[in-house]
Amino acid sequence: MNYPTDLKYSKTHEWVKEEDGLTVVGISDFAQDSLGDIVFIGLPSVGDTVTMGEALGDVESVKAVSDIICPVTGVVEEVNEDLADAPESLNSDPYGSWIIKVKEVSATEELLDAAAYEAFCATEEA
Amino acid sequence: MSELKRTILYQAHLDAGATMVDFGGWDMPIQYPEGIIAEHLYCRRHCGIFDVSHMGRIDVEGPDQVAFLQHVLSSNVLALDLNQAQYCIIPDKNGYAIDDAYLYRFEEGKYFLVINAGNIDKDWAHLMNEAKNFDVKLTNVSDKYAAIAVQGPESKKILMTLSGGRQLTPENVKNALNSLTMEGKPVRIAKTGYTGEPIGYELYCNSEDARYFWDRLIELGAKPTALGARDTTRMEAALPLYGHEMGECEMGGEIQIYAVPLAKFAVSFDEAKGDFIGREPLKKQFEALKKIMNRDYSSIEDLPYRIQPIYLEGKGVLRKGFPIYCKDAWAEGKQIGYVTSGTMIPYYKTEGQGLESVFTDETGKRSIGLAYMDSRICQDFDIEIDIRGRRQPAKVVGYHIRQDAAPYVRPILPDVKIETAAPSTDSYPEKMKNLVAAAKQNHLWRQTECINLIPSENTQSRAVRMLSASDPCNRYAEHKKQKAFYDAEIFYYQGTGFIASVEAMLVEEMKKFLGASQVETRVTSGQMSNTAVFSAMMDFKNRVDRKRTPQRLGWVMNNHIVRGGHLSAQPMGAFHDYVAIDPVTEKQMVVNFPVCEDNPYKIDVEKTKVLLAQYKPEFIIFGKSMVLYKEPVAEIRKFVDEQGIKTTIMYDMAHVLGLIGDHFQKPFEEGAEIVTGSTHKTFFGAQRGVIGVNWKPEDLKWGLWETIETRTFPGSVSNHHLGTLLGQLMAAYEMNAFKDEYQKAVVENAKHFAKCLAAEGLDVAGDPAMDYTETHQVIVKVGYAHGPEVADRLEANNIVCNYQATPEEEGFSASGALRMGVNEMTRFGFGKEDFAKLAHLIADCVLHHANVKEEVKKLRAEHLEMKYCFSDKDTEELLNAFASATGI
Repeated sequence: MNYPTDLKYSKTHEWVKEEDGLTVVGISDFAQDSLGDIVFIGLPSVGDTVTMGEALGDVESVKAVSDIICPVTGVVEEVNEDLADAPESLNSDPYGSWIIKVKEVSATEELLDAAAYEAFCATEEA
Repeated sequence: MSELKRTILYQAHLDAGATMVDFGGWDMPIQYPEGIIAEHLYCRRHCGIFDVSHMGRIDVEGPDQVAFLQHVLSSNVLALDLNQAQYCIIPDKNGYAIDDAYLYRFEEGKYFLVINAGNIDKDWAHLMNEAKNFDVKLTNVSDKYAAIAVQGPESKKILMTLSGGRQLTPENVKNALNSLTMEGKPVRIAKTGYTGEPIGYELYCNSEDARYFWDRLIELGAKPTALGARDTTRMEAALPLYGHEMGECEMGGEIQIYAVPLAKFAVSFDEAKGDFIGREPLKKQFEALKKIMNRDYSSIEDLPYRIQPIYLEGKGVLRKGFPIYCKDAWAEGKQIGYVTSGTMIPYYKTEGQGLESVFTDETGKRSIGLAYMDSRICQDFDIEIDIRGRRQPAKVVGYHIRQDAAPYVRPILPDVKIETAAPSTDSYPEKMKNLVAAAKQNHLWRQTECINLIPSENTQSRAVRMLSASDPCNRYAEHKKQKAFYDAEIFYYQGTGFIASVEAMLVEEMKKFLGASQVETRVTSGQMSNTAVFSAMMDFKNRVDRKRTPQRLGWVMNNHIVRGGHLSAQPMGAFHDYVAIDPVTEKQMVVNFPVCEDNPYKIDVEKTKVLLAQYKPEFIIFGKSMVLYKEPVAEIRKFVDEQGIKTTIMYDMAHVLGLIGDHFQKPFEEGAEIVTGSTHKTFFGAQRGVIGVNWKPEDLKWGLWETIETRTFPGSVSNHHLGTLLGQLMAAYEMNAFKDEYQKAVVENAKHFAKCLAAEGLDVAGDPAMDYTETHQVIVKVGYAHGPEVADRLEANNIVCNYQATPEEEGFSASGALRMGVNEMTRFGFGKEDFAKLAHLIADCVLHHANVKEEVKKLRAEHLEMKYCFSDKDTEELLNAFASATGI
């Protein structure tokens, strides 16, 4: 399992990074591995307000559906529409497959660094 | 986790890196590292193996075994022959399912019942409780055997490697069973499965051998496939899963058994079965279903909901529990049902259409599922699925996949249309010119450039074709024998004098050719000949009692279609409306000729005698369309006479009609009573049929002959195509004049052609000791399912033959052979040397992909003149004069 050190992580398995003044959100390697083959993603629209701790969308694998919990509150500036056609890239390249970019961030949940997140995942697996 | 049960293959799953889950109390793999999608696709394209050892397995023994199973199962256990399996349901007294199950009969005196893993305790308690009233012994043998499902197009090849090349099941059909050894270890094999694969098996082996077979199967190319893909494959096949399509209903109560489409096959109300648990409520459901299928909803309260496959057109993924709505007024915006199973399922995309459509490596995915919906919802209706608050459009479909083009499952997507060529012009004068030009091109291609090897075809002589096109082709000449006039033929129209004399002469020529006492020539095809005979047989059977609905024919013995039997003598073909259903087995009363184990093209006479004594068939039909050998008419006639079996022997000689005589068979001399045939295969005629019999007026069956005549006219034809009737008389003259040399040449050419093809390295079917064939046909095996492609390649090289499924294969799309006949080319003067040359060209094209078109054209160009007909100068002048006088 891969835990890049330049990212922060939520306990609901999203990754977050700051880039050009926007907050970029995706799902972690651990998340994609647990879900299995991802076959569908429900995405928000540009301009939508997203709220910390609430679903920004959902991912579906063959087995199950799972909400993507937004780690920040803000306004959606960009959506990775490519994922609608190729949700499987969340499996093959979870850290290269960002989901949304958020502007006007007013709240951010407490995030873990890579080492802490890896330790957290170890407890989840057990 | 420690309480979870493990199958004997548990360690194999861990070794493969499986993700394990609790499945009904079992620690089972949900997926292996490649994932569900990869596993699903691999099964569809190659071969997936599933550990199904967790399923419950019960041996049922004891004097009351049949009575007990009839009582607790929905199916008719008596319908199960040895080495067959059947799907069934364990109903409760209210018409709901306690479980669904599969019943196997691997041996005499014992049944083997397989039930769902999660229901073992419940089923066992129920069965043991019911067993109290019966003298039966139930044994839970779940731990004794391991079970591995081996599914997918390559499953048979892989398993046949393990069996050392031995056929897996004696009958290559669904639900066939066998017990054999594989690599020295005993196994039981069933041609069953839960994936919808047309080729799939379930292997039962001793627990200690399970790991050995699991690893061997992987070595041979199978991939482990876990519960995730087991669910997606079964869902794609629209097969029910207990807990989804059976058992508890999310809208309250339980799901009725007849809500599941498979119930139609799984439930029997047969008299022989008698009363059983849940019979009355099930009968009520069934009566309601019959009305619902006719869109009569007057009893809908007895079956308000049914389960059908659905396809999501909108966004998202179908999941169990999603509510369903319908915009139709009657639904009034109320929930009409819910999704019972659903997910996103991958498939391989195809290119091309029809038989030429091939799988690409590109995949797609679609969200499909099964849904429990108001019984008024029918196929192709539009519905809406509530996906977490948003209504998404969906469609009710008939199926998600089709299994009728083995070896592959074919995904069926809605809205795929077969493309047809658009007309190039709207102008009728243009269309007319185009048609004539195309017809001329086709004629010259087939008659001067192609080597025609379709054994069902021949070219008619110029004389036959000219006569067929002359005036009688515009006329009618209905006629019937009238008792009041001493059976004189009474014609109903004027102007029929000429054609009446032609028909009378044709009858005489055909009597002479067939060796028959009576002949009917008005039938216009071989299939019609058979239909008229079957209809007459049934009418004759009922002649004494006309006050009740006529009884259909009882046990009939014929050649099975997969062993070369023609569809005109099958229940699926011309026999459809004439064969009865056996009240005990609820199957059509047809028993097939057994074939020799080492030569499936030949009837096994000794085994046939055993079946004849057992079934005492009232009708025996010889003849087939994939025919290499003489049929054992004389031996069977002798046996039925000795045994006093009252039967009628018919020989459908469609293919071999033109071979009747010294070089093949004389059917009436050997004991056939009826001969039918088509007149344009080995015979020289126009495209028609013929019926001959050999009874005399004092015989019991003379009445059957008279019935055959009336079932021909007015039973089958009004206009009996007088143009070709006239042509036929010329063909009969040709045949009676030239048959000896033609028949000898055909059989010799076929044997020589077969030997040359084998010498060229091709795999020729049949017994080499008999030069492979005794007819005009030669069968060449080109590799499983390669028949269509190879036949296509040969056509591109101007060699026209047809792909053919051998007895081991699953039908036309799995055809691995070519069927070729030497009759037409023999007529064009091909001799042994020409067939040797042709064999070389075919081998070059089939084995080495060589382009042989020019050489084929050259070989054909050397043989444009028709032999075995009147072809001297006088005849030519006569025909030219006929042409110029008539304008034909």
